[in-house]
Amino acid sequence: MINRTIKLSLLFVLLMLFQVLVFNNIQFSGFVNPYIYLLFILLLPFEIPGWLLLLISFLTGLIVDFFSLSPGMHAFATVFAGFMRPNILRIISPRDGYEPGSGPSMQTYGFRWFFIYAAFIVLIHHAALFYIEVFRFQDFFRTMLRVIMSSVFSLSFILLFEYYRKGK
Amino acid sequence: MRNLLNFLARFSNLIFFLFLEGIAVYLLATGNHYHNARIGNSVRGITRGLESRISNGRSYLNLQEVNEKLLAENVALRNRMERMIPDFNPGFSSFTDTIFNQKYNYTASEVVNNSVNRQKNFFTLNKGYRHGIKVDMAVTSQFGVAGVIVGCSENYSIAMSLINVDFKLSTRIRANGYFGSLSWDGHDYRYAVLSEIPQHVVVNLGDTIEATGYSAIFPEGTLVGTVSEYEKVGGDFYKIRVALSTDFKKLHYVDIIGSLKKTEELDLEKLFK
Repeated sequence: MINRTIKLSLLFVLLMLFQVLVFNNIQFSGFVNPYIYLLFILLLPFEIPGWLLLLISFLTGLIVDFFSLSPGMHAFATVFAGFMRPNILRIISPRDGYEPGSGPSMQTYGFRWFFIYAAFIVLIHHAALFYIEVFRFQDFFRTMLRVIMSSVFSLSFILLFEYYRKGK
Repeated sequence: MRNLLNFLARFSNLIFFLFLEGIAVYLLATGNHYHNARIGNSVRGITRGLESRISNGRSYLNLQEVNEKLLAENVALRNRMERMIPDFNPGFSSFTDTIFNQKYNYTASEVVNNSVNRQKNFFTLNKGYRHGIKVDMAVTSQFGVAGVIVGCSENYSIAMSLINVDFKLSTRIRANGYFGSLSWDGHDYRYAVLSEIPQHVVVNLGDTIEATGYSAIFPEGTLVGTVSEYEKVGGDFYKIRVALSTDFKKLHYVDIIGSLKKTEELDLEKLFK
């Protein structure tokens, strides 16, 4: 248990450094900015209490906000994603349920399951993020395009990262 | 009472969720661009320090390109100076009042943080009020208008980028002098929209757009961009798409321009309001 907490904390620091130092500086075609810090929210254990999940999401988003001059935006989107996480896990649970003591990782539940899981969360997070940023429905489809394009990039990097983690 | 407690226990997560989202929205609503400069030096100090370090590293990678541009600029400036120095009349000694005719004061600065992919883009500069930077000073790159300072701390300042949906700039067409208001529509970081140019004016593709100087922020004639496309909207005005001369994705070395006579100008204007 303690071992796992330390591992997750290390992962958190690593992901934050990656996000702030590398990925915040990537801006494909002025449109797309991958957000891989979401992987941390994805990998939190199943049995984490709801309030803790929300609190961690909030703090994670807030830290990213501090580094990208966007007060509250990431906090809003990440809390939203954190709130939806248990529901999504319930919808896509495998037939014989989740193994106790395991985290939602690619290693345990396979690529296909993890892909669906991550795609749902990333889409929800990005939709909240981009629509709260634009804050009007005038450019609805343009914003949707941004959501989808950014989601594809974020998802690819998250899967890559998770794949590498699995290999270790 | 028990029912109430049951209710709270059942929906505690939802309530906590709404509470946290409330905080986020509050931050979002109060955190306009002034917020960033004020957010408190503790957190800012840490992130800024880190960002300067990143920026330091990155500037090494660009040195070659920057050097070439500096050389070109040096040559241009030297040529201009040659033309201005009078080489006649060596017998008189002249007294130079250095700020007699000087209207603007330039400070070179470096961009340490920048974005182009949001609706409200800002960039951070490594000069603050210790270097004489104040709110409402103009920021230009060597290619033209870049932004306006909106907040200063001791060593850093934050500028609202031209590609920020809140940014408005009074600009005119150099060829015929008609002026209108330039703003960014939030779509492509390479283009902005110039409106309020009446339809009887002749507009050509490639016409130069420059700042008017009416705002007393940007020096008159600062380059903004060129006309890339125009269409008639409604019955009165053009909608002109302007290709910006500054590449905001490559913004690194900029000048901060303070107007020395701005207060005088504004005070005079205030008398007649």
